[in-house]
Amino acid sequence: MQDALLRLQQEADTDLAAISNADQLESFRVKYFGRKGPFTQLMRQLGAAPKEDRPKLGKMANELKLALQGRFDEKKVDLVGSLAAAGPQLDLSLPGRQVPQGKLHPVTQIMEEICAIFEGLGFSVAEGPDIETDFYNFEALNIPAHHPARDMHDTFYVDDSTLLRTHTSPMQARVMETAEPPLKVIAPGKVYRCDSDITHTPMFHQVEGFLVDKNVSFADLKGVLRVFIAKMFDESTAIRFRPSYFPFTEPSAEVDIACVMCGGKGCRVCKKTGWLEILGAGMIDPEVFKKVNYDPEVYSGFAFGLGVERIAMLKYGINDIRLYYENDLRFLRQF
Amino acid sequence: MKFTIDWLRQYVDFDFTPQQLSDQLTMAGLEVDAVDELYRDLEVIKVAEIIDTHPHPNADKLVLCDVMVGDEEKRIVCGAPNARKGLLTAVALPGTVMPGGFKIKKSKIRGEVSLGMLCSAKELGVSEESSGIMELNEFNAKSGQSLLEAMGLQDILVEVDLTPNRPDCASVIGTAREVAAMASTPLKLPVDEGSLPTLSGSIAFSVDVVNPEFCPRYVARRMTGIKVGPSPWWLQKRLLSVDLRPINNVVDATNFIMLEYGQPLHAFDFTTLADSKIIVRTAVDGEKFTTLDGQERTLDASMLMICDGKSPVAVAGVMGGANSEVTADSTELLLESACFDAISVRRTSRNLKLSTDASYRFERGVDPQLAPVAMARLVSLLEEIASGTVDDDGVDALVAPIVPLDLALRVSRTNSLLGTTFSADQITDFMTAIGMEVSLADDDTLTVTVPTFRVDIVREVDLIEEVARIFGYNEISTSLPVVPMSFAEQDSGRALRKEATALLTSLGCYQAINYSFVSPEHADQLGLPADDEGRNTVSLLNPLTEEQSVMRRSLLPGLLENVRRNINFQSSSVRLFEIGKVFEPVADNVQPNEENHLCVVLSGLRYGTAPELHFEQSAVDLFDIKGVGQSLLSGLRLSQIVFSDNSSVAPYVDGAETLALAVGDETIGCIAKVGKECLQKFSIKQDVYFLDINFDRITALQQASKKFVPLPKFPAVQRDIAILVPESCPASDLVEAIATKKEKLLEHVSLFDVYQGKNIKEGFKSVAISVTYRAQDKTLADKAVTKVHQRMIDLLLKKFDGHLREM
Ligand SMILES: [Zn+2]
Repeated sequence: MQDALLRLQQEADTDLAAISNADQLESFRVKYFGRKGPFTQLMRQLGAAPKEDRPKLGKMANELKLALQGRFDEKKVDLVGSLAAAGPQLDLSLPGRQVPQGKLHPVTQIMEEICAIFEGLGFSVAEGPDIETDFYNFEALNIPAHHPARDMHDTFYVDDSTLLRTHTSPMQARVMETAEPPLKVIAPGKVYRCDSDITHTPMFHQVEGFLVDKNVSFADLKGVLRVFIAKMFDESTAIRFRPSYFPFTEPSAEVDIACVMCGGKGCRVCKKTGWLEILGAGMIDPEVFKKVNYDPEVYSGFAFGLGVERIAMLKYGINDIRLYYENDLRFLRQF
Repeated sequence: MKFTIDWLRQYVDFDFTPQQLSDQLTMAGLEVDAVDELYRDLEVIKVAEIIDTHPHPNADKLVLCDVMVGDEEKRIVCGAPNARKGLLTAVALPGTVMPGGFKIKKSKIRGEVSLGMLCSAKELGVSEESSGIMELNEFNAKSGQSLLEAMGLQDILVEVDLTPNRPDCASVIGTAREVAAMASTPLKLPVDEGSLPTLSGSIAFSVDVVNPEFCPRYVARRMTGIKVGPSPWWLQKRLLSVDLRPINNVVDATNFIMLEYGQPLHAFDFTTLADSKIIVRTAVDGEKFTTLDGQERTLDASMLMICDGKSPVAVAGVMGGANSEVTADSTELLLESACFDAISVRRTSRNLKLSTDASYRFERGVDPQLAPVAMARLVSLLEEIASGTVDDDGVDALVAPIVPLDLALRVSRTNSLLGTTFSADQITDFMTAIGMEVSLADDDTLTVTVPTFRVDIVREVDLIEEVARIFGYNEISTSLPVVPMSFAEQDSGRALRKEATALLTSLGCYQAINYSFVSPEHADQLGLPADDEGRNTVSLLNPLTEEQSVMRRSLLPGLLENVRRNINFQSSSVRLFEIGKVFEPVADNVQPNEENHLCVVLSGLRYGTAPELHFEQSAVDLFDIKGVGQSLLSGLRLSQIVFSDNSSVAPYVDGAETLALAVGDETIGCIAKVGKECLQKFSIKQDVYFLDINFDRITALQQASKKFVPLPKFPAVQRDIAILVPESCPASDLVEAIATKKEKLLEHVSLFDVYQGKNIKEGFKSVAISVTYRAQDKTLADKAVTKVHQRMIDLLLKKFDGHLREM
């Protein structure tokens, strides 16, 4: 019996070593561990062995079976592994399983970028109505009826006293009449001008900003806008401030940056000047403060307004403003 | 505002190149829009002398001209009536491209060779004159010389985009004054303002200003012996260079001086003025008047008119009348140089829809001191070019003496507002450079006398701006404001909007932005009934087009138009969303309600442009849009919004595929398939699903708070149920029935399959539900689970009239 066990072990080891494919693995399993296999037979024969030898033999047979099972499993893992490695090769150049993502409209992206810079400087964000009263859009901003500056605003009217806001500046008056300085506010939103050609759409987006406190100066305005432009464009972007006119600021300024297309050498985009106008700004006019009962002798402040589409055009090189509102996926996917 | 460099040099000497001049003006607040070389395309046109003419053998109206261009002789066929021997004229030789783009070639005209073209002024774009070829003998031109040189046309046009506060620069002299300050050179004026005649009013006509509030000054003089005719070339050239058409010497002189000084002038034919009277008064309501342009206009009582003894002869400050127009036969003139009130002129110009060079200047403000100066200039010019004689006296009706404004300017205030450290002396220098008189009132205060031409400077702050402007905005140092720290508040809706847009883009949707104004036809395209509330829109009084004439009530139509456009451009799988305002009218002269809405549209393939390799593609259906809605609401943690039966199905919705989004009893939006008819109206041939929700309503809701629940310590057991229920039974009701059963061990229940068809009885469906059980304090025994699970099964069988199906 003991001999038979040893023979079985030798035979099984030889067979195991010879296995090289899945079929052989399976026939080995059937041959040795099947219902009609040698271990089953040996167990049956165990009854014929002397009684005192039975436990020892039984243990031997069991150990042998377990050891063989272990070696078989090892072989199986080995074999399956090598079989898999030899299988069809994975084409790693195939695209990943990328779940489709959408994107924000480029105008929103730029608007958020602008807001984030000013939020970083501690400005609050306020929004106001698109359909404004004549009072907030004009009167409160020192643009009375029959003021020539109304020509600068091609206004869509709803009726005598309501209109589509032509700028986000009405938020200056709206915020100031409900809050006390110090104020640091930006107001992003849609604005409307009754003007449509290759460089104008009748609706566009602006971000208004203003800061009011004691002892705020024109130098402060320059400082804040310099930080903004450095963050929005490039730390080295050249800037110039030049006199302009807005009825609600005095002094008023236009701010130009060195043309991002030609680097200031002069090109079609900058009309050969090397400069691009990107925002209007100024010190808030005393008349605006009087309208909201701030004492202009005590408080001063600055305000600025920038066109979001224009900045998007400059940053992304968009050359046709009509694309903004067609919502063509071929356009929206680019940003 | 346009002028030429040559013109500017008449009044000021400077060394700047045109580019430098342009930069300096821009930096001084006079933004230069364009600098253009005039008549550049005329460089190739030459002066030719006709040395002989011959009749054309085959055409009566054509002449064969032998011309000399320098020392070359050429034969040119010409049809002009003034082509004659000895005439110096302009020639375009073969190869020349004419201003219109037409290229001159050697050609045969009615059988005769022509080596070029003799040109009229109109053909060359020099003027409107087209009755014959150019007459250059009086220019002392030489044959072969370039036309530009011969006529002195070489010049550079500068165009300034003038801001409304600088009417003083709406004239060449006003601009020259700024340039003189930059170049530190004196201004050369055509009229000596120190020796103006005194006008005392002993004259052959009378002037009565009835409404002095609208007419602070009226200067009038009479001229006789006028010979109306063409202006001299120098004058025509100036007008032509700024695109003004020469008319006759009288009209040209008034236009020229308006451009030169900024003072609008007018000349009446004196003999047409009834009773030799000028009355300045407001019109009578409904009065009719025909202006110089031949238009009959209806006046109202607010309009200031210049009248003679009987009726109006001009709209004050805007335009003259046809009845008193200077004609070729006029010999006596009444000249007007007046100052009219800005608001009055602007109102009149608006009401008459008539804007002129004169009204442009009056609206912005004209210096009342200018009227007598410009009159002196006009008189002397007409003496020179129209051989007129002026009456010794005239009228200067001045309401009140003009006193220049004295303003106090504080040095400390200037420095605190600008962030500078100027001394009183520095500020004085800046002020005197631009014609202000300055004296020291006290240590900190200057008294500044503002010249009357600076109508924009009326306050201290206006002077402070001038200090900054003259010093240079760019030169002012830079600092950062020191403001007490405070929390930067956010607009309430903004944060949630940002969260929602981030979620939607991660769900594969692109953000759209459409115009807030839309076509009123949208209501029809949506199939809204005639009395539908949705047709009540805010309309614009002055829309650009009908397509943009009403404020939108819904975001859906705009997005449907975007879907169609994208399909047309071969992007047929569309996932778009927009968050924007819709506008609901309230009442006249009241701001409408503005509400932010969110709309999502899905159409085409589920995974869009994703590779089919990994994603099994099929068309989107209702569950895609429902999924977007669910992901959005769970992402925003707004579990109080639930999908429910849509009880008010809109006409543009497919009634079989829609659900309402509700908070309690209130519907705040819906998801739906767009109805077939509506799609047809938008010319879309594939299914579109949308979600539309009132976003402001969402903003008002409380987002669920984030609260930690301890992780379970014991394993869960999962059991499945497959049950056959009648087809009409909503599967979610089964899930709901278990979920709401207060069973302690129940942790989670979910639907995992719904099946109809093979092996399932007609009229029934199989619903498979997975239930998870867990105890918090022990590992569940099989027996205990089986007991609870059986209760669930029994519940479903009983409640939904179901049968168990073998798994
Ligand atoms: Zn450039």
